[in-house]
Amino acid sequence: MIKAEPRTILNFLNTYFDVVRDLFEYQQQDGLITKEVFDMICHKHGAQMKSRLREYRVVRSIGSDFEMRDVYFKLMEFLLFEFKPLLPETIEKYKGAISELFMKIRKSEHSDRDILQERIKNLSGQVREFVDLVERNAFRLLAETRDLKSNIDRVQYREKVHKASFWIEYYILPLNRILDVNHSESVTSKLVEVCEYANRKRLDYSDETTRSEYEKLYTQLIQTNQDLLKQSKILTNELIPLLERIRTESLILTGFIEFLRNPYKVETPPLLKGTRTMVYAKDMYFKVREFFEQFQIEAPVIVENSEADFDRWIFDRTLFKEKLAASMPVNDFFGWCFKALKKDFDQIETDKFFAVTGLLFDEELQIDYSKKSDRVSIETTTSILDVPKLKIEPAIKL
Amino acid sequence: MVYPAHHRQIVEELMSGKFLLNNEEHFNSLKENESFYTEFFKVSFDLELIMKPEFCYLLSKDTQENFSRDVSIFIAILSYELDRDGRNFIESFDFNEFTFEEIDNYFLNSSFIDLIESNKTLRDNESRRTLLNGMARRNIIYKTFEDRFTFTQAYKVFVEFAKELALKRIKGEPETQNVES
Repeated sequence: MIKAEPRTILNFLNTYFDVVRDLFEYQQQDGLITKEVFDMICHKHGAQMKSRLREYRVVRSIGSDFEMRDVYFKLMEFLLFEFKPLLPETIEKYKGAISELFMKIRKSEHSDRDILQERIKNLSGQVREFVDLVERNAFRLLAETRDLKSNIDRVQYREKVHKASFWIEYYILPLNRILDVNHSESVTSKLVEVCEYANRKRLDYSDETTRSEYEKLYTQLIQTNQDLLKQSKILTNELIPLLERIRTESLILTGFIEFLRNPYKVETPPLLKGTRTMVYAKDMYFKVREFFEQFQIEAPVIVENSEADFDRWIFDRTLFKEKLAASMPVNDFFGWCFKALKKDFDQIETDKFFAVTGLLFDEELQIDYSKKSDRVSIETTTSILDVPKLKIEPAIKL
Repeated sequence: MVYPAHHRQIVEELMSGKFLLNNEEHFNSLKENESFYTEFFKVSFDLELIMKPEFCYLLSKDTQENFSRDVSIFIAILSYELDRDGRNFIESFDFNEFTFEEIDNYFLNSSFIDLIESNKTLRDNESRRTLLNGMARRNIIYKTFEDRFTFTQAYKVFVEFAKELALKRIKGEPETQNVES
């Protein structure tokens, strides 16, 4: 029994909210509060804290450790909106309780009025708890799914697939089955059945106070069924598609990342292998056109005509070499060059003359220098060249 | 013998490696005569006709195909970068228009830059244009303008491939490996 006044307890909760919240968080995380944790949390508030927590029945001892009492735990869950999703198996137990009470109500229709009214009230209480749990679960699942979608914790894709599959398989699909009004075994369909029964009885039951209880139950169930329908819609329209998308997207990305790790070692989707096109093939024309089209866009090339007049004469070494060979031996090489050019041109330019004189470096020729240092004068269009008189003969091959 | 409507167009396009899409008129003719065409391609060319609700295509036994690998790498990197950018990549493939410039930005800033630079069809803007033109010719993308495109439903071939690969890896199955091409 608690000696303290309710307001005293509420004041305590208000003043030491942080302490109770810490205890709640440890309890939520580990399932209990170890002695070390309990001592650590209470330490800074003095020895009185421990005794008060026990006195106000916030905690109770479990061996040397502690646990937060259910009523406070639920209060903190509600205040902090920190609901832990419950496995649907836990929620499904209400179906048993509701069915049992409903069956007894029907059987005891004409027996003791008081017990009938108590059962109706109890049924109403079970329905209230059931709806509350469903709502909290749906809310928590939605929050978990959105966290998974935004991926603030940077969960790996593979882990995301696993989590999404886990939520779908163990929480959402079973919860959806519980809420599926079309499923004869679902809790919702049982509630619809109770609702119909309450509707009849609120009108035709002989006792007025019992009729009034049926009336309350009926009104509650109408609202409950609407709420459950809303939760069912959240599950089917939002949660399941969202999780399916997370699962699919993450699966695809996992696949792509695995592929990109070593893209040349994995078989890619087979497509039609391209065939070699023969020149007589029908589509050759298009393929050739496509090939040439790539060269169509070219940078413009600007060609400027040079105004400078230049002679396009190119020295034909072979021809002059043959002419020289035919004239061997030649007593005056430079004079011969001049005469050879003179046969083709009236005017001899210096560069033309020098081009022909290049024949002198041919290894097949033997050059004799005049002992008298005789020189000859060659007159080109621009210069008068004073050159030695050289005798040329074919070289003697050894 | 009476051939189905658009027979010539169907054969020519499929044989040139194109995906036939369900918004094209000749796709319906192909769908209505699916069993005929399945047999036709098998008997005539030893090719398999793959029919999906949104598209269909042919595939040969020989899977040593570089184009498929290049497209797979392209879509894989783009998916990864779109996701990193906070975009839903499946929705983007289904509904968004991409510009070449946008693609270039994703590829230039990608963490897979080593892979991109070592692949001659992806390494620079010009080579990526060539790959995209090839994809457009095969109906994997649809060029809305000279420098803009949308994906056709044919992208799903590559997405399915990734999904299957992930499932294999998650289950720990060994992956069949290709000789490096």
